[in-house]
Amino acid sequence: MSSAGIDKVRDWILGRHPDRTELAADVDLIESRLVDSLAFVELVYTIEDAAGIEIDFDAIDIEDFQTLATIEKAFFA
Amino acid sequence: MSRPRIGVDLVPLSRVSELLDPEVGPVLGRFLSAEESAASRTPDGAPDHAGIAGRLAAKEAVFKLFGAVGRPVPWQGIEILRGPGGRPVVRLSGSATELATSVGLGPIDVSISHDGGFAIAVAAATTSADH
Repeated sequence: MSSAGIDKVRDWILGRHPDRTELAADVDLIESRLVDSLAFVELVYTIEDAAGIEIDFDAIDIEDFQTLATIEKAFFA
Repeated sequence: MSRPRIGVDLVPLSRVSELLDPEVGPVLGRFLSAEESAASRTPDGAPDHAGIAGRLAAKEAVFKLFGAVGRPVPWQGIEILRGPGGRPVVRLSGSATELATSVGLGPIDVSISHDGGFAIAVAAATTSADH
């Protein structure tokens, strides 16, 4: 069962892509161009808001943001 | 031996409108330094959408010179400021400086243009890296 936090992140991504109705946890968000470089900053902001944390942009490990599964493990586990 | 390297990027002005939407939150401050934010306003103090889009495109174009695959753009570390005669100049700091140094990048030049709802930027420099 996914957390409310990761559901918020999923909803934000789906909201940017009205052509999609679902997003599997293992879809690569960057390779599939669901999140581009500008949207990446918004994604970080969305995660911060949903998780109630602050993310140091200079210390980001891009692998944590690769899929919904990695985001959930890194920020909502 | 030094080799030329270029980077290019395109930003729709509509993306700037999205980033300025109050519902999105204070996201634009993640992209622009205080100095850049001050320079990204029209004479009457409103956000200069074309100027912001051009700045964001130039930052990404500069980032492409680094060849740093799999790294997030260090938006704050790549500043696009107004130089003599209004020509854009690049100022690097933090991890952006480290990335530039790692590929032996020389002085960076950028050019920005706007038209038809888009901003485009090209960045050029020489590198001592082999690839």
